[in-house]
Amino acid sequence: MGLGERRNKPFSVNPLQEKGVSLYVHLPYCASRCRYCDFNAWVADKADFTSYIDAVLHEAREKATGLNPQTVFFGGGTPSLFPKEELSRLFEELQIITGYQTSAFEITAEANPESFSEEKASVFSHGQVNRVSLGIQSLQPDILRAYDRAHSSEQALQALDRIKRVFSQCNVDMIYAFPGQHPESFFSDLEKLLAYSPDHFSCYELSYEPGTALTKKRDAGKWNPEDPDLCEKLFLAVQEIFSRHQYSHYEVSNFALDNSPCWHNVATWRTLDCVGLGAGAVGWEGGVRQKNILRPVEYESAIFERGSATLEKEVPKKETVLFDLFMMGLRMPHEGVSIERAERLTGLNPLLVYDKELAQLRQEGLLRVTPEQIRVTPKGLLLLDTVLQSFLPTQSV
Amino acid sequence: MSFSFPPERIRNFSIIAHIDHGKSTLADRFLEITGAISERERKNQILDSMDLERERGITIKASAVSLTHEVNGEEYLFNLIDTPGHVDFAYEVEKSLQACEGAVLLIDAAQGIQAQTVANAMLALEQNMTVIPVFNKMDLPHARPEEIKDELENTLLLDRDSTLQCSAKTGEGVEEILQHVVRDIPPPEGDPNAPLRALIFDARYDEYRGIVVYLRIMDGSIRKGDWVHMIGAGAEYETIELGKFSPGPVVHPGLTVGETGYLISNIKRLEDVRVGDTVTLRKGEPVEPLVGYREPQPMVWCGIYPTSSGDFENLRSALKALKLNDSSILFEPESSDALGFGFRCGFLGLLHMEIVQERLERESGMDVIQTAPTVPYQILLTSGKTLEIHSPGALPDPTQYTEIREPIVTTHILVPTESIGPIMKLCMDRRGLFLRQEHLSANRVMLTWDLPLAEIIYDFYDKLKSGTKGYGTMNFDEPRFEASNLVKMRILVNDREADALSVICHANAAQRRGRAVLKKLRKEIPRHQFKIPLQAAVGGKIMARENISALSKNVTAKCYGGDITRKRKLLEKQKEGKKRMKSIGNVEVPQKAFLAVLTTDE
Repeated sequence: MGLGERRNKPFSVNPLQEKGVSLYVHLPYCASRCRYCDFNAWVADKADFTSYIDAVLHEAREKATGLNPQTVFFGGGTPSLFPKEELSRLFEELQIITGYQTSAFEITAEANPESFSEEKASVFSHGQVNRVSLGIQSLQPDILRAYDRAHSSEQALQALDRIKRVFSQCNVDMIYAFPGQHPESFFSDLEKLLAYSPDHFSCYELSYEPGTALTKKRDAGKWNPEDPDLCEKLFLAVQEIFSRHQYSHYEVSNFALDNSPCWHNVATWRTLDCVGLGAGAVGWEGGVRQKNILRPVEYESAIFERGSATLEKEVPKKETVLFDLFMMGLRMPHEGVSIERAERLTGLNPLLVYDKELAQLRQEGLLRVTPEQIRVTPKGLLLLDTVLQSFLPTQSV
Repeated sequence: MSFSFPPERIRNFSIIAHIDHGKSTLADRFLEITGAISERERKNQILDSMDLERERGITIKASAVSLTHEVNGEEYLFNLIDTPGHVDFAYEVEKSLQACEGAVLLIDAAQGIQAQTVANAMLALEQNMTVIPVFNKMDLPHARPEEIKDELENTLLLDRDSTLQCSAKTGEGVEEILQHVVRDIPPPEGDPNAPLRALIFDARYDEYRGIVVYLRIMDGSIRKGDWVHMIGAGAEYETIELGKFSPGPVVHPGLTVGETGYLISNIKRLEDVRVGDTVTLRKGEPVEPLVGYREPQPMVWCGIYPTSSGDFENLRSALKALKLNDSSILFEPESSDALGFGFRCGFLGLLHMEIVQERLERESGMDVIQTAPTVPYQILLTSGKTLEIHSPGALPDPTQYTEIREPIVTTHILVPTESIGPIMKLCMDRRGLFLRQEHLSANRVMLTWDLPLAEIIYDFYDKLKSGTKGYGTMNFDEPRFEASNLVKMRILVNDREADALSVICHANAAQRRGRAVLKKLRKEIPRHQFKIPLQAAVGGKIMARENISALSKNVTAKCYGGDITRKRKLLEKQKEGKKRMKSIGNVEVPQKAFLAVLTTDE
């Protein structure tokens, strides 16, 4: 398959504490809505940023006082779109409430090229952000236009340059398999960006999530997704390119130079505890998963009225917790699921619970099973959803 | 409403019309001016009582209502029997007409004579019924009564001067129709003192009261408490309740000659009530049964299978319940490798089939899979016998027969003059034989073709509509069977024959059809972890092939902390969907794929 073995080597460090907790803060506003996006994002034209930040801080006081998280992620939406005064206030107050600036070894914030000015970079920096994740997606002007992205390719490269100068770590987000895009144009985008040596890439196949403009068009028969065979070729070609540039393929769509994965995300793939703040944010703590109200103004009024904006609460039974460990853990080909850890967390031994399924999947060449861990093979990674379906418990909650 | 009207003051009549010509609106207007309902009570189209009818805006089942109204100073009883307007339901129209002495032929004054106008009027005229032509929608600015009078004379030989004009929407001219009904339609004949003879023209199942039988009293009378005898079914019941519809059911102590109403006898056995049967009294002298209805001749057959195999018996009861109220449905058990046990069901036409499937799902809450429809074929066996088959799977080995005959129908197609070209081409493409072309008026033409019914049941009607900007209508006569060069095309999925997918088609069309079917299947069947070859074969010869390539990538690109619940649920849903699929060998096939043979697109 031409996939280098090096990508299957685990990282030589593990700064994540098993008992530690992460903090996720959702900043939901964007300059425009991208046609493929199903995140909880809202166009900012009527946004009241001050009120939103007030609500997040209020929620933080209720849920995260003295939290001392080991990682923090400011996601969106577009955090860099928020006014600098509001961002400064958020960072300062949140530090007072949670102590994150001293407790966290990794503090990530997302940014989009059109709003990541010198000023914003400096505000991020004052907030002790040490990792910036830049949503570039493509450098092709026609694609940026067609998918309603709000920036040009020049702006993207300028922003990347800025990040490289100010921050110790940097991620670039890219999307491929836009129907009709010539594979070479995507590869040349990657090569251009690789010249800046960002230490991390997230490279996603364009996906058709429920409710997006693109999915509606596809379902109405007005849009043909890229041919699945070509998508597979692109998936493998992307791995090949990053392998050639010494990046480790540590998750389905994520690539990192040595020991610089996004540890916050590694924590979620290990299903470690995380507190979520903001509209639509999801938290997972002590066996309970909670999701907040999605619409920012409704989230704000719920927080101001009753100090909480929980929309859904799930207490999965142990079989489901075990499944979730597999669903998330198997996404990391070199790490997989630790059998000892799974049993410690759920009281269930996966070798017994998934006895037949594991034998079958092993025989099909999709899984590697050792007494310590269960991992996907390169073929199993390609068919991960098929693999996961065989582990599904009958009733999830 | 007084109980008893002498026969000379009763009129039994129907409204017959092409779909959408305003029949139900006119019926509503009758209800209103006779005071049966107030305007405030009026829901649109009272007589279409099935949900499905109201949703689709068409009348499927006949329905009856009794109204009283004063004409020329005398109180009359009008029994109005509603009729369906779609080509599939000529049988229902015929049943309704049997209970009447006359009919109002309603014609849209803008659209003019349509194919069903002709067909339904012919049915009435063949029974020597009085037909009163009425132009509806006269309030429309583009109403063209003079032109339509030409069409009326040319197609039905009806006198142009006998025509009435109305607008059911505004109520203009509606009163006059009732006056003409009294004047022109004869009162019911029949002997009030003879033994009871009543015609069952419809029936409905009521969960609490058993079967509600719709009756037209032809001779004698019936009172509550009488023991009745259904001659054909050989069943006997005590009359618990009698009544009339005005328009809701109203209890009456009895029904007498010429009247229309309902009978409740707590009948639970569905087989005991046959539409067309004659009801008489148990005691007294035996009577001759009334001329029953012609048995319906189902011309479209398909397999109906329960989605979960445990539901076979439930499906049988559901079909029985439907048959009670729609005696034109036929069904016989059959089995398929892929679909298990189900029924081969016969319908009057495609719309009828769709409606039955919807009613099955709606009224019995069952999930069913339907296979692609087929027409019946007559097989001339080498033994000299003739075998009628209702599914391609039933075709014997080629060594056992000498000829296959397919139903051919003489088809009347009414189109605007400018659409003649495309419609002629459509008929030629569908193996038609041109018979004649007649001008109804300056810009409308009736084309008559002999067409194989099998070619019509696919998408002929849609193509007719799109080829005439929606103005084309069609109707066809009773089919006759003619020999044709037909072959059975088998479909192989991963080298296994899929019996539910095989199709009988013309030898010359086999390759084109085979390609189209496989292309469709390739889209419908999801990729598996192995490559799936698809083949269409006639005898040992492969007519077309396609491949579904192996699934080698199936992985969610993005999955972070906020996605866990949603992604898990998505996987669960996909797994659930897989469970509902049917297997052909080791290939999982979604239900939709079983209709793939319907496709005619290149």
